[in-house]
Amino acid sequence: MAMPPRLRKLALTAHVASSVGWLGAVAAFLALSIVGLASNDPQAVRAVYVAMDVSVWYVLLPFSVASLLTGLVQSLGTSWGLLRHYWVVIKLVMTVFATVVLMLYTETLAYLAHRANDTSSLTVDVDDLTRASPVLHAGAALVLLVVATTLSVYKPRGLTRYGRRKQHGVLQP
Amino acid sequence: MADPSATPDPADAVPRSADREPHTGTPRWVKVFAVVGALLILLLVVMLLAGGHGPGRHTGSRGDAPSSAVIEHSA
Repeated sequence: MAMPPRLRKLALTAHVASSVGWLGAVAAFLALSIVGLASNDPQAVRAVYVAMDVSVWYVLLPFSVASLLTGLVQSLGTSWGLLRHYWVVIKLVMTVFATVVLMLYTETLAYLAHRANDTSSLTVDVDDLTRASPVLHAGAALVLLVVATTLSVYKPRGLTRYGRRKQHGVLQP
Repeated sequence: MADPSATPDPADAVPRSADREPHTGTPRWVKVFAVVGALLILLLVVMLLAGGHGPGRHTGSRGDAPSSAVIEHSA
């Protein structure tokens, strides 16, 4: 189902904005997580983990879901299709994987933010908060999103088996 | 005057060459992606099975030992 040109441009704008927003949010999250890992200031570490938890719920997750949904609309509403070209399929798999991992990781971040926000105790176990995990997750996400962006820009050639069948007119559009 | 919005958008239009490419099997770049992806998934599965990774690993629900380095909260 092909979208009319104006709607297609609107959908493309929404997809680019949400995807670039997600990439930028992950970069900011990576900076915060590095501060959380490297800082010796307990107050800074506490603040960073609370900020990371907020950014996941109000920035990262909305952008990731928006990127996924607008990507689906963009592929299904244009002649690229969802399963016809390898680059579209691979990008879809990467986006779904990143979104699912992000959703699962909210549990860890909620725990860390809870510990950081716990003012009932006069002591804070900085080693318990200071972990490499957020840095590794954010770094991996950044690499994945840069690869996905590169695929979108270069659109490397390659039709899937389904795409080849469509090309030869075996399947009706 | 022609409607400019009717002009195909090069940003999302499928190039004719991409849609009419000859059947040459799976491209090399896809094979590279598949191999790298499979290796990463294998690494992830090994880490999950070894208990060094995964949801809940960091929440203390699996008996994480408390750290000995306790710093006085200055607030």
